[in-house]
Amino acid sequence: MSKVLKLVPESCTGCMRCEMACSYMQTGTYQPSKSVIRVSPFERHTSYSPYTCFQCQEAWCLAACPVEAISISPAGAKVVIRDQCVGCKLCTIACPYGTIFYDVDTHKAFKCNLCGGSPACAEACPTAAIQWVEEKVQDWQGDFAAERGVIHLVGVPSA
Amino acid sequence: MAMKRHVIVGGGTAGLNAITTIREYDRGESEVVLLSGEWPYARMVLPYYLGHEISESHVFTATATRLAKLGVKPHIGRRATALDTKNNKLTLDDGTILEYDDLLIATGSSATRPPIPGANGPRIYNQWAMDDTRGVLAEIKGGMDVVMVGAGFISFTILNSVLSHGVNLHVIEVMPQVLPRMIDREAAILVQDWLRGRGVHIHTSTTVKAIEDVDGRKRLLLAEGGDLMADLVIMGTGIRPNLGWLAGSGIEINQGVLVDDHLRSNVSNVYAAGDVAEGPELITGKREVHAIEPTAMAHGRVVGANMVGRDIAYRGSLLMNILDVQQLDIASFGNWSAADRETSVLLEPRGHIYRKLVWDGDRIVGAVIMGPARGIWTTNDVGMLKGLIYSGVHLGAWKGYLQEHMKDLKKPFVACHVIRDMLPVTVLDHPTVPARDVVAVEPAG
Ligand SMILES: Cc1cc2nc3c(=O)[nH]c(=O)nc-3n(C[C@H](O)[C@H](O)[C@H](O)COP(=O)(O)OP(=O)(O)OC[C@H]3O[C@@H](n4cnc5c(N)ncnc54)[C@H](O)[C@@H]3O)c2cc1C
Ligand code: SF4
Repeated sequence: MSKVLKLVPESCTGCMRCEMACSYMQTGTYQPSKSVIRVSPFERHTSYSPYTCFQCQEAWCLAACPVEAISISPAGAKVVIRDQCVGCKLCTIACPYGTIFYDVDTHKAFKCNLCGGSPACAEACPTAAIQWVEEKVQDWQGDFAAERGVIHLVGVPSA
Repeated sequence: MAMKRHVIVGGGTAGLNAITTIREYDRGESEVVLLSGEWPYARMVLPYYLGHEISESHVFTATATRLAKLGVKPHIGRRATALDTKNNKLTLDDGTILEYDDLLIATGSSATRPPIPGANGPRIYNQWAMDDTRGVLAEIKGGMDVVMVGAGFISFTILNSVLSHGVNLHVIEVMPQVLPRMIDREAAILVQDWLRGRGVHIHTSTTVKAIEDVDGRKRLLLAEGGDLMADLVIMGTGIRPNLGWLAGSGIEINQGVLVDDHLRSNVSNVYAAGDVAEGPELITGKREVHAIEPTAMAHGRVVGANMVGRDIAYRGSLLMNILDVQQLDIASFGNWSAADRETSVLLEPRGHIYRKLVWDGDRIVGAVIMGPARGIWTTNDVGMLKGLIYSGVHLGAWKGYLQEHMKDLKKPFVACHVIRDMLPVTVLDHPTVPARDVVAVEPAG
């Protein structure tokens, strides 16, 4: 079994260190807007969860690309070959998770590449809410979000 | 035993995806013959060549070397002229006859011109094939007056490239709005406003009735009165599937070749894929012609798998389009136009932001999403919308939340377990293999 980025939302404190580490690794600067792992609030702002590419087996982005600009790395990541990408955004509407992005500055698609096999987000997380482990990829957040969603669904006036 | 012979007619998106899928499975243990009017290329990246963002070679998806590595016998530059489904024989335009065990019809579409005087004169180009792009590139110069006839999706895919040449652009559309088959009127008004703000002249509800040559320029006469002068005219007035060569073949055709959930036509060893195929739609199961790249790709892969005996049933195609119009991003999905369905709308005219969800009970069956590029890509909601629609998830109580919070897709998306539902889904019942990694093994001996 290969390693995956396991998300443990219950452990996330919303400190955003993963976003910082990710953007620094991916772009060389600290700019969370270029991070490919995103921390979102659930249950107003009392719970948080990181969210990133599942490196899914269908590889919707890869299958959609008209110029074969996405390949699979030795670490098992679907990676964008930047010189090959024309910036058509087809991958971004093909991916059903919203985890491949478009960079308005470079006109290229970008996504999680597992940092070549040692993901910076997992290293940066102080509470082990992101782990680089041998496991089967799964929906780690669904139940978490559903439980914490109740507050949004009972008619409590929302922020 | 003789090797099975697969004949692929058309080397575009669908045809090439079928070939790489066949080789992914059989590694060279069948004969694959490709007949194609042109060298394989990705039509949809022509706009980037037109805008000089990529070289011409970048558009091509297979060279002679790649076809050799895939163990394909190419007949390039030849066209199919007749199909004899009784005797499994295909006739080419040079009289060659190819026999097949099974065959894929993947001949794509051609651009059509309106039936008006002067529509076929000089300095008028379609924007559908490599030669069209070469033609425009040879003529277009900064400062020119360029008129685009037709404001549909294809016209709009080249809009940025045309403008990048520094021309003065007019867009003429018969319908009362731009992009009539991609977005609704509310969204189109914002697009028109955005483009006018960037110096593009938009003429809706306007019909060209004739095109004349005047002193080396073009004069477009308008049915509503008046005229427009141009140095170059680009026609984006529609496309038609290339099916003429199937006359007399007995293949059942409606808008396109009618295919079942294995993408087989009424003749069981003849498949159809891509723009020429009328195949199952994802949500309704009804057969439709989509003429979009994702449908051509998925069709091609499914046919390739079935040709090697994999028995893959296709779940159906979801209509989806995305456009960048001068950094205004516009996407629509599925049944976005449904007039008879419940909809939720978010409209922020000054920000050029528009969102629409189309409901079937508590499921989303269509959507439009639009906004300035920077805003759109901070959330990546386009992908989650695809997931919400493709999975067919029931949103239950989250429907009400979403209607109130149209910009917060993430919570309902995650809480309704779209991830759990989507993770096991694969089109070919196994993990996708990158086409770029597929090669055929030299047959022994
Ligand atoms: C400018 C432009 C921009 C586009 N942008 C997008 C986009 O952003 N998103 C999107 O989803 N779609 C887009 N499309 C549409 C997309 O390119 C097509 O839907 C897709 O190419 C269809 O694939 P296909 O394999 O069915 O046909 P094609 O790719 O057209 O391939 C058909 C092949 O068949 C060959 N052929 C035709 N007749 C014969 C014959 N009688 N004998 C032998 N060979 C024949 C042709 O030469 C060609 O090689 C765009 C198209 C254009 C032109
Ligand atoms: S944006 Fe780039 S990687 Fe994505 S489909 Fe288009 S060319 Fe391929």
